[in-house]
Amino acid sequence: MHSIADRDRHRVDVNGRLDVLLALTASDLRARYGRGRLRFAKWLLDPFAALGVYLVLVAAVLDRPGRATALSIACAVVPFQLVIMAVTSSMNAVRLRRAIVLNMRFDRELLPLSTVLTETVAFIAALGLLGAVMAGSRVTPTVHVLWLLVFVPLTVLLAFGMSVPATLFGVWYRDLTVFAVSFVRTLFFVAPGLVALDGVPEPAATLLKANPLSGLFEGYRDALLYGRAPDPWQILVPLAFSVAFLGLFVPVYRGEEAHLAKVVE
Amino acid sequence: MPSVTCESLGVRFQFDREQRPVTPVLARLRRGVTESWGLRGISVTIGPGEAVALIGPSGAGKSTLLRAIAGVLPPDDGTVVTSGRIGALLATDAGLTGVLTGRENATLIAALAGLPRRRMEALLSSVASASGLGPSFDRPVMSYSEGMRARVGFAVVIEAAPDVLLLDEVHEALDHEYREVVERAASAIVARGGIVIAAGHDHPLLERIAERGILLECGTLVADGPFTDVQARYLAT
Repeated sequence: MHSIADRDRHRVDVNGRLDVLLALTASDLRARYGRGRLRFAKWLLDPFAALGVYLVLVAAVLDRPGRATALSIACAVVPFQLVIMAVTSSMNAVRLRRAIVLNMRFDRELLPLSTVLTETVAFIAALGLLGAVMAGSRVTPTVHVLWLLVFVPLTVLLAFGMSVPATLFGVWYRDLTVFAVSFVRTLFFVAPGLVALDGVPEPAATLLKANPLSGLFEGYRDALLYGRAPDPWQILVPLAFSVAFLGLFVPVYRGEEAHLAKVVE
Repeated sequence: MPSVTCESLGVRFQFDREQRPVTPVLARLRRGVTESWGLRGISVTIGPGEAVALIGPSGAGKSTLLRAIAGVLPPDDGTVVTSGRIGALLATDAGLTGVLTGRENATLIAALAGLPRRRMEALLSSVASASGLGPSFDRPVMSYSEGMRARVGFAVVIEAAPDVLLLDEVHEALDHEYREVVERAASAIVARGGIVIAAGHDHPLLERIAERGILLECGTLVADGPFTDVQARYLAT
């Protein structure tokens, strides 16, 4: 048992936790994205680059252009960038924080959350891409754009849900992190990422709904491209996965976080 | 009143078949896991106004004991009870992240140590001045020498006014001038009823800081008493 007189008081100090979370996120932003205005360019460049590659693939190589193809792909690429960046950064989070993990006691439960917050800043900046592509595709926004108020937080929640096991995976199997990133990238292709769900034949379309990314991608399309309300599964499946990840892995992480200093040297 | 009490303290490290350290959950999932106790059966009480030097050969458990006291490592056996604000310099990189500047590192460490944001500006200007780095304070720490890192780390720790100061060899990276700063800061903490625990191999420096010595060997406490007596016993072995 480790009993430190002010430890419990520290844990319930919400303001203190918020200060720590903000400090970790601010330093993470500088460490990952550098300083100055160029970082905004990088935030926008990543999803634009991914969008460009997929657009060429779908429209030219596969020759499957559909309705507003660029916007349809952007609706998948932008939320996926948050998920994959959160997973990738989480797997390196403890190593990136090695100096402070070895030197001082602090609330290490905040490490995955600060990683997701860092990537969320980049994600919010990249949301501008959706508006730009909408305008470029001449799609008029409808009232259903307001569904983004549900799907943006849901994307962040799913990223957080996946970041906790990703942080543990990075500690447990640091040699396999490249494989893990490839696995997450595969999830994009077994979801309606490049081709919208209504372009996928049955029974594959039904099976794809089990992928938590499918609901997100189709939710962004409903809000921005189709101008309609989403089906309940589009919210419930990603929500269920997020809750399951957090329910399963937060207790494991809490047990492991005290021992992180033993394995990062 | 600051205090540090260890009762039968033990800290265990577990390794997989390739001798990589593993966490407890992973140790349960893998076969062929071995374990080694970094500390075992350590019982020691340090009271207000005491300065203690931890000595012993490399691998004796000095750093592990300091980290257990700092709360960086959890006890796997026994207990550690501390009271008072802890300031620690336990790694050769002084807890600084290479890609961040001295100022950014100071901000981060101060926040992690629990300093409120409203005190941050005043603290940063004090740290900038106390570290004596001038313009280098706003350069990435990866460009610093070991001594410069230790200066920034130490300045942040001292400006946070710790009741318990833990130093692990970091002070040995400092130049002669700044070592005197460390000695004066340690004396001031002890004079106001705080605790200083320093580990290292620079015995003349440790003797100036601490009157009490603790000798560790293979993770166990071998001797505890006046520094000169404990040092003599260490050198005799």
